[in-house]
Amino acid sequence: MSETTPLKVVAETKLWEVFARRKYEEPLHQVGTIAADDPELAKVYARSIYDEFSWVEMVVAPRDAFLSVIKP
Amino acid sequence: MGNEITEQQALFDLLAALADNKYFLGRRYAEWCNGAPTLESSVAAAAMAQDELGHTRAIYPLLQDFPQAKEQPAEYEPETRTRFCNVAFLDHPFTGWPDFIAANFLLDTALSVIFEFAQESRFEPLRGRARKVLQEEQVHALHSEGWVRRLARTGGSVRGALAAALERAWLETLCWFGPIDDPRGELLRQGGVLAGGPEELRQHWLQRVGPALLESELAQAFLLQQEAAGRWVAPSALPWEKWDAGRRRLQQEPAHV
Repeated sequence: MSETTPLKVVAETKLWEVFARRKYEEPLHQVGTIAADDPELAKVYARSIYDEFSWVEMVVAPRDAFLSVIKP
Repeated sequence: MGNEITEQQALFDLLAALADNKYFLGRRYAEWCNGAPTLESSVAAAAMAQDELGHTRAIYPLLQDFPQAKEQPAEYEPETRTRFCNVAFLDHPFTGWPDFIAANFLLDTALSVIFEFAQESRFEPLRGRARKVLQEEQVHALHSEGWVRRLARTGGSVRGALAAALERAWLETLCWFGPIDDPRGELLRQGGVLAGGPEELRQHWLQRVGPALLESELAQAFLLQQEAAGRWVAPSALPWEKWDAGRRRLQQEPAHV
């Protein structure tokens, strides 16, 4: 890849927050963040990176969709 | 020679080709666990390699129940096997990330088409494995389609490298389902092992890969078009004179690296 495709050309620039839950009675909670410019790839990456449990549900949301209510 | 093929031989050849292609696909994916363009795609490559090698471990043992395995037992243990039936473009490591994506997009999808057509198979061991394989392969398909779109959209030399990689894998994968009058394919269909013959399998595969190629304006290179009735046509001259039907590959002797 490096000879034909400089890594910076395909560097991921968009961030996604990953939420999941292990049981139906639990709320979704944030488990991490991933970088992906393609929504479908965001789902693939979330699934392969945060595979430590057998989740019953996992969702991703673009970080820039979040509105700040109380700033740090 | 075609008349001598039995359904049992056709099934044996199919299982061997599935196992060997998944074995080498898994190995080639694994070679990119720490070399993919991003950390996320490296982890995805590792996960997909694990999936493929897992599928391999579920298929190789099926070969041992065939009489062929009793004649040459060493050939049907994955560790001692030398008569591999993988496509020729998996004989060597990928030359770059576009080769990874081309194999992920074209071949991995072709292997999944077999499992899709085996979901109601009369051969229970294949039917029993189809559901889990297809569940895991959904993620592989999302990965490959996402990367085809990304590399195509990037343009320039990146897009050119993707087009070249797809071209290297295209004809052999198009051939992989066999000639339209392939006796093996017909025996598998008639025997209820697969729910379609070679041309139906190939058409289903074209329906799976066609839309992303068309959307990315890469379809023209393969003369791939969708007719008004929804049927896909890829009128390339296929090199059947080089086709090894038993091993489903375009070159006679594998030379693995």
